[in-house]
Amino acid sequence: MRVSLSWLRDYVDFDVTPEQLGERLNLSGTKLETITRPAADVRGVVVAEVLAIEDHPGADNLTLVEVSAGEGHSQRVVCGARNFRIGDRVPLATVGARLPGGVEIAERKIRGQSSAGMLCSAMELGISKDHSGILVLPPDAPLGADVVSVLGLDDAILELEITPNRGDCLSMIGIAREVAALLGTELRLPDATVPAASVDSPVVVRVEDTQGCPRYLARYMEDVSVRPSPVWLVARLLAAGIRPISNVVDVTNYVLLETGHPLHAFDAAKVAQATIVVRRAEDGELLRTLDGVERKLVADDLVIADPERAIALAGVMGGEGTEVSRDTEAVILESALFDHASIAYSARRHGLRTEASMRFERRADPENVPFAAGRAARLLAEIAYARVAPEVTDVYPVEVRRARITLRPQRTKRLLGIDIPAEAQAGYLRALGLEVTTAPGRIDVVVPTFRPDLEREADLVEEVARLAGFDLLPSTLPPGAAGALTPAQAAVRRCARLLAGMGLQEAWTTSFASPAELDALGLSPDHPARVQVALMNPMTEDATTLRTTLLPGLLRSAARNVARRVPDVALFEIASVYEPSERELPAESQLLAAAFCGARQLKSWRAERKEWDLFSVKGVVEALLRALRIGGAAFEPYGARPFHPTRAARLVLAGEPVGVLGELHPETCDAFDVPQGTAAFELALEPLIAACPGKPVVEEPPRLPGVYFDLAFIVDRAVPAGRIEEVVRLAGRPEVVSVRLFDVYEGEQLGEGRKSIAFALELRAPDRTLTDDEAAAVRARIVRAVAERTGAELRG
Amino acid sequence: MTEAAELERQLVAAQAEALAAIEAAGDLTALEEARVRALGRKAPLARARAALGTLDEQARRAVGRLANDVQGAIEAALTAKRERLAESELKQRFERERADVTLPGDAVAVGGVHPLTRTVWEIVDIFIGLGYSVAEGPEAELSVLNFDALNTPPEHPSKSPADTFYVAGTNEEVCLRTQTSPVQIRVMESRPPPVYVVSPGRTYRRDAEDATHLMQFFQIEGLAVDEGVTMADLKGTLELFARQVFGKDLDIRLRPHHFPFTEPSAEMDVQCFNCRGAGCRVCKQEGWIEILGCGMVHPALFEWVGYDPERYSGFAFGMGAERIAALAHGVTDIRHFYENDLRLLTQFGGPP
Repeated sequence: MRVSLSWLRDYVDFDVTPEQLGERLNLSGTKLETITRPAADVRGVVVAEVLAIEDHPGADNLTLVEVSAGEGHSQRVVCGARNFRIGDRVPLATVGARLPGGVEIAERKIRGQSSAGMLCSAMELGISKDHSGILVLPPDAPLGADVVSVLGLDDAILELEITPNRGDCLSMIGIAREVAALLGTELRLPDATVPAASVDSPVVVRVEDTQGCPRYLARYMEDVSVRPSPVWLVARLLAAGIRPISNVVDVTNYVLLETGHPLHAFDAAKVAQATIVVRRAEDGELLRTLDGVERKLVADDLVIADPERAIALAGVMGGEGTEVSRDTEAVILESALFDHASIAYSARRHGLRTEASMRFERRADPENVPFAAGRAARLLAEIAYARVAPEVTDVYPVEVRRARITLRPQRTKRLLGIDIPAEAQAGYLRALGLEVTTAPGRIDVVVPTFRPDLEREADLVEEVARLAGFDLLPSTLPPGAAGALTPAQAAVRRCARLLAGMGLQEAWTTSFASPAELDALGLSPDHPARVQVALMNPMTEDATTLRTTLLPGLLRSAARNVARRVPDVALFEIASVYEPSERELPAESQLLAAAFCGARQLKSWRAERKEWDLFSVKGVVEALLRALRIGGAAFEPYGARPFHPTRAARLVLAGEPVGVLGELHPETCDAFDVPQGTAAFELALEPLIAACPGKPVVEEPPRLPGVYFDLAFIVDRAVPAGRIEEVVRLAGRPEVVSVRLFDVYEGEQLGEGRKSIAFALELRAPDRTLTDDEAAAVRARIVRAVAERTGAELRG
Repeated sequence: MTEAAELERQLVAAQAEALAAIEAAGDLTALEEARVRALGRKAPLARARAALGTLDEQARRAVGRLANDVQGAIEAALTAKRERLAESELKQRFERERADVTLPGDAVAVGGVHPLTRTVWEIVDIFIGLGYSVAEGPEAELSVLNFDALNTPPEHPSKSPADTFYVAGTNEEVCLRTQTSPVQIRVMESRPPPVYVVSPGRTYRRDAEDATHLMQFFQIEGLAVDEGVTMADLKGTLELFARQVFGKDLDIRLRPHHFPFTEPSAEMDVQCFNCRGAGCRVCKQEGWIEILGCGMVHPALFEWVGYDPERYSGFAFGMGAERIAALAHGVTDIRHFYENDLRLLTQFGGPP
């Protein structure tokens, strides 16, 4: 909402600076965006009359315009617009003039023709963004006068953000009421009385849908002289950012800005039988609106019609068929109240957000209906010489009741934490235009219809608080409780910290997904991740569903880094995935995933480069499990996409698969533009956290020395190392307390298809030092068991 | 010359020779050779001692004393020399082992958590310190909890499919939550007051993406409901929060605003931490930076969840993690947070 301060002074007196006024409004709930003085630095632009228009001999799109800023002398300027006629008054930036942004006008030649100045558009004067043509000034703009002062462009304009509950503040009077309440001054309402004329109104109004249209008022007027508006009116519309059209349309817009109530003027001659019907549209009914668009209506749209056809989309936009033109003589002026929800749906459906629909959506004031109509009729009588029928057709079957609310001053104290005397509370409410009566312990309020947002006691507390000022509130703290993360919440953080400690960087990627990215992963059609939650109304093609895997997001992030010459990437993410469910909401669960490419260790002056691969990723997963003290993890071969068919594993905890890890399939790497060999893991977080044991209960370190020896086996290459290790552990119980595989070797001397695997063992007994004989017995037991179960033989 | 005199002469010569040899020894091997030559069985000293028996009592005592003195002198010289040599060899070893400390150390990877995670943790921890716990809820949420329970009018534009994502096939009954506020409803529906919770979580809106808007963003909301909770408590709480995040001695202010789920409602501004209120690029010359929305819980919410609004009161606040992180860390385009460019992420160092 743009508020011109000189205009505002029509309704309220204030002797504070624009900055001070803006701050008061800002701190009472009407947010100040900016203060502008659009033409503060404009000099030397004067009102001139167009005397002659000729084509420019050297350019088709230019004209030579003879203008005069006063009797006796004239000058010729080159102009690029043709939206004016001989006799029009236009703004002439004379030689030496200054325009916004410090542009200075000099005499210069354009395509061989000299131009003594420039004719200005509204944009060039800094008034608005309208650059569609030269700003044609009203005929009563005095020749030679300074355009800035004629149009009042040196005025300060407050740009205010009006919250959706305060439709009443989308008007000069509404803002003036706020200012009056804030400064303790009086609100002045403009004159809305209509001069008597002996005209009979032929208008008939039939409201078929009183829910959609609780009130419809029509005024009829004749002998309307449709012409440009006077300069004061043009100036105010421009200040508000609205383009002047003709006096009749301008007055409806002016009164909308002034009172906040939207009006519409119909050319009475084009309304069949002068009969207004307010009804729901027929499905598929057509209406060409004022913006020239043919609109197909639906049965939920409320329309204004005559007995033959729809003539306006109620509360949103008028129709072309009944538009006021230069030939209009009689006008039906509509001032109505439409249901806010109905207008909101219609405006949204047709993608039309107009000054009118915006105000109806925010609940217009039923009692403003006759006032706005009277105000417009009076102005039209003044400036369009309209003769207004005294008869008013006002269909208002059920009067809107004023809300009655009781405020307990004690309640204000209990909610705010400050004690504002009851009398002061009543005073604030009165200042806002509420009817207030006080009794001990209560303030009874009748809420005027222009404040439909005030519905209950808490609303009045807010009014008191914002007028008193939130800066009065002291800073205190509520009692509070005992706060802590739950063990599961703490465990999630712990996972993030552990992985970061291992050198991984956390990423955040989008929850949105698409079937296409699952294709890129190469998932089989029956892969569980294929079943996604689909969006009804996606914004983009790559975000049509919710994700079932974190890998695409991580791989895209990895690829982006690689493309930006950051080739060594280890990213992890902890986030939710979503799957369709039979219950009322999709199922959500958290995954922990990571992607790795490039070097995990760069070549240095004393170390070789090492790349990420299955085993370095497995090392990360194992370290995480160890750090979380999760035992009993098993790794099984896993060959499904997106992983490498022979270099990936499934992590199994207590017999349940909880994740996958390994190198990615070469095609997946190509599809995501990441290097071959890129590796990843993806684990279900909840089972991991559930597997975390409680507080550690430990064994104290042994005092007695252990026995240490190595064992190397030669075995068939196909026997998994894990199988041998398992047998070593089982056979070594209870003396063997640690088994660590430290070497795998394949070579000619072992024979074709054979390998050697070596383990370092630690043995101990809880109560004594093992003797050499005891250790040898355990060793023999292990060797025998491994030989029996895996066919391995002890290496020399 | 008597035999005794001859022995004495030999001893003196042997001492001189031994001391010279010890002095000349360049390493421990040479020193050992010198020791054997001076103190060995065939050394003059040993021979002199062997010959003592042939001397008379008086001469034996004199030569014997001399022999002891010579042996003492040689042993002292040996010890001193050994120490000097050991010291010098250690010195040489250290010289051989000398490292160029300007060479880089072995690379130990330092990872980190995401800046938004840092921000969320920081904020959550502040409220945990104030006695709040963390409540979470579904991101695909019942529309009735996301809107109606929060006092949003049925025709409110935010409900339109132009603004809110809906799950296909649910007749708009399931949306992607546009705020974490439905978690507040779920918490209040599940237990009686007092309630002190923060609810961090992902949220979604159909916004065209630009430097300050994303289709998906992260909200942190807080809710305190108890007997006697006031707006002054809200102000004090937010002041404490803002000063921890943005700077100890910054002022905050509450500006009246409007939200359907709070009454009175406010926006909180914090004094610009860059210019301290003077006006600069960061605060767009305003001196204040808008941080969050807040207010006293609307009685309609209490009615929805079955709390007695006469007995209990409460406040709620909500903020965007991206905005807070951007302000705190000098990021001007929040899209950076979802690009995961390591050149940005690594600047935050290791996990907090």
